[in-house]
Amino acid sequence: MRGSDRDAFSKRHPLVNFVFFIGAIGCAAVIQHPVYLLAGAIGAGSYHLLLNGRKGWRMILGMIPMFLFLTAVNPLFNIYGATVLFHVFGRPYTMEALMYGAAIAAVFMVMLLWFGCYNVVLTSDKFTSLFGDLIPALSLLLVMVLRMIPNFLRKAKQLMGARRSIGKGAGEESTTKEKLSDGMTVLSALTDWALEGSVITGDSMRARGYGVAKRTSFQIYRMTCMDWTLLALISLLLAVVIGFAAGGSTAASFTPDLFFAPIAGWDALGLIAYCLFLLIPTALHVKEAIQWHISRSKI
Amino acid sequence: MKKSKIATLIVLFGLIPGTLYLGTRLSGRSYYLVGTLMVIELLIPFFLAFEGRRPQARELVTIAVLCAIAVAGRAAIPIPNFKAIFAIIMISGIAFGPESGFLVGAVSALASNFFYGQGPYTPWQMLGYGVAGLLAGFVFSKNWIARKPLPMAVFGAVCVVLVVGPILDLSDIFLKLTQIDLAAVVVVFAAGLPVNVSQAVCTFLTLLLIGKPLLEKLDRLKEKYGMMEAGGDGI
Repeated sequence: MRGSDRDAFSKRHPLVNFVFFIGAIGCAAVIQHPVYLLAGAIGAGSYHLLLNGRKGWRMILGMIPMFLFLTAVNPLFNIYGATVLFHVFGRPYTMEALMYGAAIAAVFMVMLLWFGCYNVVLTSDKFTSLFGDLIPALSLLLVMVLRMIPNFLRKAKQLMGARRSIGKGAGEESTTKEKLSDGMTVLSALTDWALEGSVITGDSMRARGYGVAKRTSFQIYRMTCMDWTLLALISLLLAVVIGFAAGGSTAASFTPDLFFAPIAGWDALGLIAYCLFLLIPTALHVKEAIQWHISRSKI
Repeated sequence: MKKSKIATLIVLFGLIPGTLYLGTRLSGRSYYLVGTLMVIELLIPFFLAFEGRRPQARELVTIAVLCAIAVAGRAAIPIPNFKAIFAIIMISGIAFGPESGFLVGAVSALASNFFYGQGPYTPWQMLGYGVAGLLAGFVFSKNWIARKPLPMAVFGAVCVVLVVGPILDLSDIFLKLTQIDLAAVVVVFAAGLPVNVSQAVCTFLTLLLIGKPLLEKLDRLKEKYGMMEAGGDGI
């Protein structure tokens, strides 16, 4: 998680992060107006690059073939469209359907980019601390599972090593059948060990008073003044975007004829609000970087 | 009436029709948003039932162990892309009943995505994996199918190809298609078939080879410590 250590938006309260991503991903999933899509791609792409650096470029470049594929394939399924380019298997391949495919592919890519950012910013500890009060038993369950997985992975390796050292395990040259039966033995042994431990853990939890009273949860994150301001800003901008979208200023239809709601006059406000909303994490990051630069040059 | 029952009714007769109505009102392509919202709403009653039951420590830890084994199981088997996750979810459902089976499935999907990355498919995976545990728990608690290796394995494979795989493919339909008609849906399901079949084979082999011993271990745990029994205090 190298990106999240230095990123200003990641340091904000998990609630701020969560609301932002719900809004950004939700808008990306629904709005398919090309201008909004472009805004979404720029917002998601820039933040993705800030978080992931060189790795981010690789992911974005890797998306291009998928984008082209989804675009090109769509007219094969969607034959509605006024401008026929050519015929495939006797079905018309239309320009409008091709554009529609590009829009849907862009929607998909922008969502993937936002999820890429989400995975870096909203780590599992933030997720569970966010839902700890709302769904206490499930959050505790999730915390336990997340802790056990690396533990079990390690134990599985130990079991395999132990079996190999007595000449029983499967190596590189074993047949698939041998590997399979060996794997099943390890899995079975792992389950045995883990279940035995679970009873002990459960008893220990009970002995220390689990379930006696309502659990309180330790909160490492506190909503600061800055967090409330950001949350208010995010909610306000989202409300504006949703309002304009409900009013039809993000409307776009592709088949049979292309139609995009014109962005002029008041409708431009919706787009401006959307851009401002999407640029919040990037702007925070840049602001922090500039401050750091200034305070360093003062020394 | 119990709180969780009331919540279930609210979800089924209030939230889901409401979401569908919203979908018809939204301009643009809202299949994905509406579909995903409905999936999340379907998950809510199960989670609330678990919260409302105030699970005891031993039950909580046992379910956590099963989830973690389902996710970590792949490290134990030295064959690339061999996934035992569905088999373990189903065994959990068979041993501890449909509700626990659903929970093990949904939580393992969420937890494994913390390691492999959350995506637009996360809620669909939670539902699909959960349904695998739910169905297994339901079918075997009614004794419709014998708890023997071969019948369990066949059930598992059929369940993956016919139910779980299609639920996961549904998210693809909502995400990637512009025109949803029969031909397009058939193509998406057909494209997903090879993956689903390979997972079905893994599930079949796992259930056939260690389904019975694993089930015996869980049954023994129940018997030895009196866990997860209806009416029991399950300490």
